[in-house]
Amino acid sequence: MIRQLLKKLSGSRVSALFRKELHQIRRDRRLAMSLIVPPVLQLTLFGFALSAKVENIQLGVVDESQTKESRDLIAVLTESKSFESAGYFFSVERLTDAISKGSIVAGVVIPQDFARDIQRGRPTTVQFLLNATNANSAAISQGYAEAVIRSYNARLRSEGIQPVFRRMAEVDQGPGGQVTLHPAFLYNPGLKDSWFITTGVLGLLLILNSSIVASGAMVKEREAGTIEQLLMSPAGTTEIIVAKILPLFLLLSFMMFIAIFMIKTVFGVPFHGGLLPVVGGGALCVLAGIGIGTAVATFSKSAQQALLTGFFINPPMVSLSGALNPVEAMPKWLQPLVVINPIHHFGVIARGSMLKGSGLDTLWPNFLALSIITLVLLSLSVWRFRNQLS
Amino acid sequence: MRRIIAQTRKELTQIVRDWRTLLLAIILPLILLMLLGNAISLSVTDMPMVVQDLDDSPSSRQLIDAFRSSLTLRVVTWPTDKQPVEALSTNTARAVLIIPTHFERDLKRGVDSPVQMIVDAADANTARLTTGYANQIIAAHNRVTNPGAIQPPVRAAIRLWYNPDRSSKKFYGPGIFVLALSIFPPLLAALAMAKEEDQKTILQVFVSNIPASEFLFGKVLAFMVVALGEAAVMMVLLFTMFDLRFAGDPTPFLVATILYAFCVASFGTMVGATISNQAAAMQAVALGGFLFVFLLSGLIYPIENIPASIRWLSNFIWGRYYIEVVRDAFLQGGGWPAVWYKTLIIGVIGVVFFFLAWVNKHRMQLKS
Repeated sequence: MIRQLLKKLSGSRVSALFRKELHQIRRDRRLAMSLIVPPVLQLTLFGFALSAKVENIQLGVVDESQTKESRDLIAVLTESKSFESAGYFFSVERLTDAISKGSIVAGVVIPQDFARDIQRGRPTTVQFLLNATNANSAAISQGYAEAVIRSYNARLRSEGIQPVFRRMAEVDQGPGGQVTLHPAFLYNPGLKDSWFITTGVLGLLLILNSSIVASGAMVKEREAGTIEQLLMSPAGTTEIIVAKILPLFLLLSFMMFIAIFMIKTVFGVPFHGGLLPVVGGGALCVLAGIGIGTAVATFSKSAQQALLTGFFINPPMVSLSGALNPVEAMPKWLQPLVVINPIHHFGVIARGSMLKGSGLDTLWPNFLALSIITLVLLSLSVWRFRNQLS
Repeated sequence: MRRIIAQTRKELTQIVRDWRTLLLAIILPLILLMLLGNAISLSVTDMPMVVQDLDDSPSSRQLIDAFRSSLTLRVVTWPTDKQPVEALSTNTARAVLIIPTHFERDLKRGVDSPVQMIVDAADANTARLTTGYANQIIAAHNRVTNPGAIQPPVRAAIRLWYNPDRSSKKFYGPGIFVLALSIFPPLLAALAMAKEEDQKTILQVFVSNIPASEFLFGKVLAFMVVALGEAAVMMVLLFTMFDLRFAGDPTPFLVATILYAFCVASFGTMVGATISNQAAAMQAVALGGFLFVFLLSGLIYPIENIPASIRWLSNFIWGRYYIEVVRDAFLQGGGWPAVWYKTLIIGVIGVVFFFLAWVNKHRMQLKS
């Protein structure tokens, strides 16, 4: 039964066309290169270069106090990985000059009566100046500065500064406890930025490269004029389309496995949910990319036009996907748009499955959305392609 | 001079007559700036958070109210019969705050009372921000509810300069402005140059009396006009939608913009002169203009975070210097003393690109 089916298949027109496409692809060295080079290059560049962590902030110091206490504070500030001393400044003006020139990012000013105030048990204030041009780094450095001061305070208390304050406190009110926060980081305890980036870039890479390769392959027949020969062949339009899409799909799936392998080995991303959801979502992404590429190709007369059209589609699709930055950081009016973006759904699936270990029971809405998007794109492209053939 | 201008006019006429390139030249940069400038941001607001209040006392409710009134975190309801951590795996919340039993009793006794926050760290940067905000909220809460308690001896007064409301639009808007200028003018220039070769119209140039340098400069000038036009249109958007103003002396910005227009137009012309296949030239520009300028110029993430093994590359990325000049002009206002050498480097890189294009074409002959 199966053998009969296979025999029927291998003799069919589809398989003949399929083999023709495979041969064509195999002889096109540039295509083979474009299947391996971009994923490797993009993953390494994005994964290594895009990191939002804030470390070694260049900190300029104005120490007007010049005491053991102030030097202690500076030591506490710079012994962490967050701040790095960029030298002492003699006046606040010099410090602000250096910040506006951009040679340092942050400055700290310790007032003259710093040590005296501490010894007398009077609260004192240390001023931090932060260049907030980069909003994200500023928010994080602000957190660091506060944390360092907190730990310095804790140290002062343990050194016996505390009794002075406690006495003062007892005068006006009974002592009360403080609320303290104990954060725990789930799913990515090492806070590795690359885990977020690579899982997002995977979808981006699958869709973009699939659409470029597909539009190139589809527009080629038209450019070379060989589409006439296809039209003259006895094969029906469905057969032509299936035979065109299938080899591309196989090749691009191969690219997907290279990318997944890289994510696993180079970046050490865990696969808590197993390989299946990622591969399934990835296959849908490849099909969606082929759909986009084919549709674009039917609107263009040459490879150059197809690529140009890509410039209209790709940047908005990438920027509104949440692949490189959290969706919550987008403005409210743009957030609903991610629902129609396949890269977004794959990002949720990849992160959910790889990092959180979620299964189909929580990821099914994204799988459903991704399937619908893929189906719509593929039918659009098949419809356009068929119109063109007839 | 007359020949250069004639060449420039011919180039500009060609652009205006092709609707696809015209759209690409004028509309697309605007769309890109509008979408990307608004959408690329790392500072989250309104992050959903689930609270599990095991104490259910006046004190714990007061703490929850402190979280509720913040702009960054939003308390969402979660059925009590479900594990709160499930809210993280189903993406309904990004953090869980757990207030232990005896929370109020401990506080009243004067014992420090810990609360736990479980943060979804799949996005490490957001996780860091969330804990930072939560710490700030709790510190403020402690000050309000417990003014008589042990005051910390040292307090930090943090001043945020140049961008006090930490608006990411003001940081990314200028960045995307630079990105758009780094993609579209060189793309058009490369296409125009490759087209001449592809369609063999370059032969007409070879037999005319125009020298290679004037021919190339005429082309570069045309795309400088395009780049400056794009810059002007996008500036309007920066001033209105992004609410940016010049922070200081605008002359460094103006000079750098003209030099950068020259730099990107020369880059495109160079690529087009080297690669005569239009599709391949386009991909080369996309790689150089988009991938490198996007990733290695400090556009989204700081350059210092790039590992040293590839960080040196960013010294050669022309967009990097221009981004620094633009951000200085709009946010810091350091003026000439801060950016003079960056402006110079932009010009030097532009001259190098132009020279490379000239080397490729100076013999005015078809490649054999």
